[in-house]
Amino acid sequence: MSGHHISSAKFLWGIGIALFFLTFVTVAVTWIQIPEPWNIVVAIGIAVVKALLVVLFFMNLYWDSKFNSLLFIFSLIFFGLMIGITLLDTLFRNDPTPLF
Amino acid sequence: MSSTSATEEKRLDHVQHHFVDSEQQFESAKMGMWVFIVTEILMFGGLFVAYIVYRSWYPELYLEASTQLNAFWGMVNTFVLIGSSLTVAMAIRSAQLNQIKGLIYNLYITIGLAFTFMVIKYFEYSEKLGKGIAPGEYYTYDGLEHEKANIFFSIYYMMTGLHGVHVTIGIGLMIWLVVKAKKNVFHSEYYTPVEITGLYWHLVDIIWIFLFPLLYLID
Amino acid sequence: MATSEASTTYKKIQVRRYKPEENPEKNYLNEEKGLWAWLTTVDHKKIGLMYLASIAFFFLVGGILALILRTELWTPARSFLDADLYNQVFTLHGAIMVFFFLVPSVPTVLGNFVLPLQLGAKDVAFPRLNLASFYIYLIGALFTLTAILTGGVDTGWTFYTPYSATTGGNVIMMTLGVFILGFSSILTGVNFIVTIHKLRSPGMTWAKLPLNLWALYATSIIQILATPVLAITLLLLTMERALGIGIFDPALGGDPVLYQHFFWFYSHPAVYIMIVPGFGIISEVVSTFSKKIIFGYWAIALSSLAIAFIGFLVWGHHMFTAGQSSLANLVFSFLTFMVGIPTGIKIFNWVATMYKGSIDMKTPMVYVMIFLFLFMIGGFTGIMVGALSVDIHLHDTYYVVAHFHYVMVGGMVMAFLGGIHYWWPKMFGKMYSELWAKIAAGILFIGFNMTFLPQFIMGSQGMPRRYFNYLEQFQPFHQTSTVGAYLMGTGFLIVAIYLTYSLFKGKKAGPNPWGSRALEWQTASPPPLHNFEHIPVIINGPYDYHKPMSEFQLGVASKHNGHHAEETVDVPESAQEKA
Ligand code: HEM
Ligand SMILES: [Cu+2]
Repeated sequence: MSGHHISSAKFLWGIGIALFFLTFVTVAVTWIQIPEPWNIVVAIGIAVVKALLVVLFFMNLYWDSKFNSLLFIFSLIFFGLMIGITLLDTLFRNDPTPLF
Repeated sequence: MSSTSATEEKRLDHVQHHFVDSEQQFESAKMGMWVFIVTEILMFGGLFVAYIVYRSWYPELYLEASTQLNAFWGMVNTFVLIGSSLTVAMAIRSAQLNQIKGLIYNLYITIGLAFTFMVIKYFEYSEKLGKGIAPGEYYTYDGLEHEKANIFFSIYYMMTGLHGVHVTIGIGLMIWLVVKAKKNVFHSEYYTPVEITGLYWHLVDIIWIFLFPLLYLID
Repeated sequence: MATSEASTTYKKIQVRRYKPEENPEKNYLNEEKGLWAWLTTVDHKKIGLMYLASIAFFFLVGGILALILRTELWTPARSFLDADLYNQVFTLHGAIMVFFFLVPSVPTVLGNFVLPLQLGAKDVAFPRLNLASFYIYLIGALFTLTAILTGGVDTGWTFYTPYSATTGGNVIMMTLGVFILGFSSILTGVNFIVTIHKLRSPGMTWAKLPLNLWALYATSIIQILATPVLAITLLLLTMERALGIGIFDPALGGDPVLYQHFFWFYSHPAVYIMIVPGFGIISEVVSTFSKKIIFGYWAIALSSLAIAFIGFLVWGHHMFTAGQSSLANLVFSFLTFMVGIPTGIKIFNWVATMYKGSIDMKTPMVYVMIFLFLFMIGGFTGIMVGALSVDIHLHDTYYVVAHFHYVMVGGMVMAFLGGIHYWWPKMFGKMYSELWAKIAAGILFIGFNMTFLPQFIMGSQGMPRRYFNYLEQFQPFHQTSTVGAYLMGTGFLIVAIYLTYSLFKGKKAGPNPWGSRALEWQTASPPPLHNFEHIPVIINGPYDYHKPMSEFQLGVASKHNGHHAEETVDVPESAQEKA
């Protein structure tokens, strides 16, 4: 009963500041021109960390029932399937029939 | 649970008949919201698929076209939205601690930030539309070489547009919360709508966290 | 239960035996009276009935459109529709049948009605949301009807671009209608998932969940994962028409095959939204009328989830000839074969349930037999068209039309009818005429096969789908098909008549006319407004036909006890005997 997690104001502010800081970092790394694939990796990596902070500590998934986390993870898995399988087509449109 | 019978009554009047207790009702509502968040993620997921497919086809298009987006204002908007996420989290904390005033103030700030976001978005849109950077068919701008520039901006408008609709809905929900809070509906044992709306608002924030680098920071 | 669990301490609750009342004076149908009470009700049972009425209406509309199509196809040349009108009619037939009848049918009607009853809950988790989703459905329907009246749509139910972006008519209205409808579907899914998780009565563990609920659970999962993608697809399509955004339109630099990916990412899983609830009904009915515990409970339960998952991986089998990469063709064809596995598992388990059971051929069971026969044909031909090389030949022919009618009508509509006949006594407390029901089932079976069996032959000989005229050589097949369609129409009419008649003149049903062990039968027919006069306590599975009925009629003796989702219950041996 009454397992509602109450975060301290300090903690929430801490997460907020971390998010502000990471936002600044993503912008800053574009000034130093990282070469092709890595700039995307870094940008997405930082975005993932930020999203995780929000999900875990603002949306309280860290303290919440495991099933809610499972739901969240499943939505990402199915998004991954959607994009992954679609790319099987779009990336290989012009290739001839694969030979095995 | 030490309270007089009068407050006891107040504490239970929100429990609907088909739930056994407040806790079951709260957990159900929260799970419902998480399920709904799944649907939101897949709905935006469709747009992200379009984004990724076109980016894999035309990487140079994205490099070129994103120069038209103003990274500075994108960053400001990111700060604004993250700030509003923080205030929503604070609002929930206030509700949990029975500080109704704090709840209302935090909601006010959130609404203000959300408005700020939309206003900045409005200026961004009108600046682009003024230049002829409209979606798809109506694209008339000739400052970009790439023949598929219109597609990039279609994707841009769809993603940010759908996100903007979500922000607007969020503002509406937040105003509704303020009205309810002023009527003294919420207390530490019942703040489900605040919690649920908060989850929704954080999701809107997360989507922007991805939209910002994917659209504004390509180079 | 395993003996190791005996040592754990359970919370003890007092239970009593409650025999359901034979002829209760008050029930959900007469407790709140008047039209307004109906329109604003949050009672899941009444909402289910309102859905039943709306869905029956759309089935009628879709059915009439089908008969119009079949009538036009009586002769090889034009009979009375020109090509454009024919295109509009088949589009509306398909869209209405899929989006407004089949997708919502079982979950919203039977699911709404039965789900809380089978859980022992008073209602679904979000009753107001439930009502809202009904009205969202109606608004979506209104949009669609407007589309029909203001120009029509001739794109086919799949709305393929670029045709749908450029053709005349009122496509926007139609796509918006379906878009809105999608939210109704999503909200129902949200409601069901939370209800199953949170509102189970004491003792209703996952292992005792009726298979109907496992099926609805799997369906809800597909609904919440796939429907939002349909929503965004239709939104993009609407924008394509309204603003020419061009993402799917090659004339503007877009890619039409991408549209097909989007569309089928929803629509293949959607065929499982349509059929999996049917599987649930079959499981219930098979066990009840074989008077035997279901064979392979977990196999059936988990195969529903497996279908839900694999169903998401195969959408490209609709695009073998659309110009996707050969690699994708290959992978999709392989994955498509895998869908057959969990489906096969189910069929074997149903048949094994019947083996050595004392089978009682009441009408619902007759429909189960029809289902098994027709769905098998539909499933096997699905595997046929899933084979890449074969499908190159069969794609867009009547073979495909026959395939999906065998699964959707032969499978799902028959399962739906089985479910309606099974739960009709519970819904209204009245029995229908067993004789007429069987006659109608026979007519439907014969009519159905007459309609669609010839289409397999025509299709394999090259008769393309979606044409209003055809080569003379196909005429005998088409005419057989048309006669069959009218026969089926007659069958449905008979069903409508005797069911309606039973409402007024039917015999009283009593709480449990089939002698079922499932929970929904342990309350009065029709049920009281809040489903049970007590909070039910579950100690046996819903298919435990080897145990006496009295063990299934237990309820919490005191108020406000149990009902927590996680709470486990132990019933002292002596309490069970209490009358
Ligand atoms: C064993 C399971 C199944 C397999 C392997 C399967 C396979 C296929 C394949 C490969 C096609 C594409 C044929 C073509 O267009 O050339 C198809 C079409 C179709 N299937 Fe199935 N199917 C299965 C079950 C179902 C079920 C259960 C339903 C519905 C309840 C269904 C409904 C449809 C529909 C509506 C189409 C045609 C869509 C259109 O083009 O308009 N299928 N199926
Ligand atoms: Cu399919």
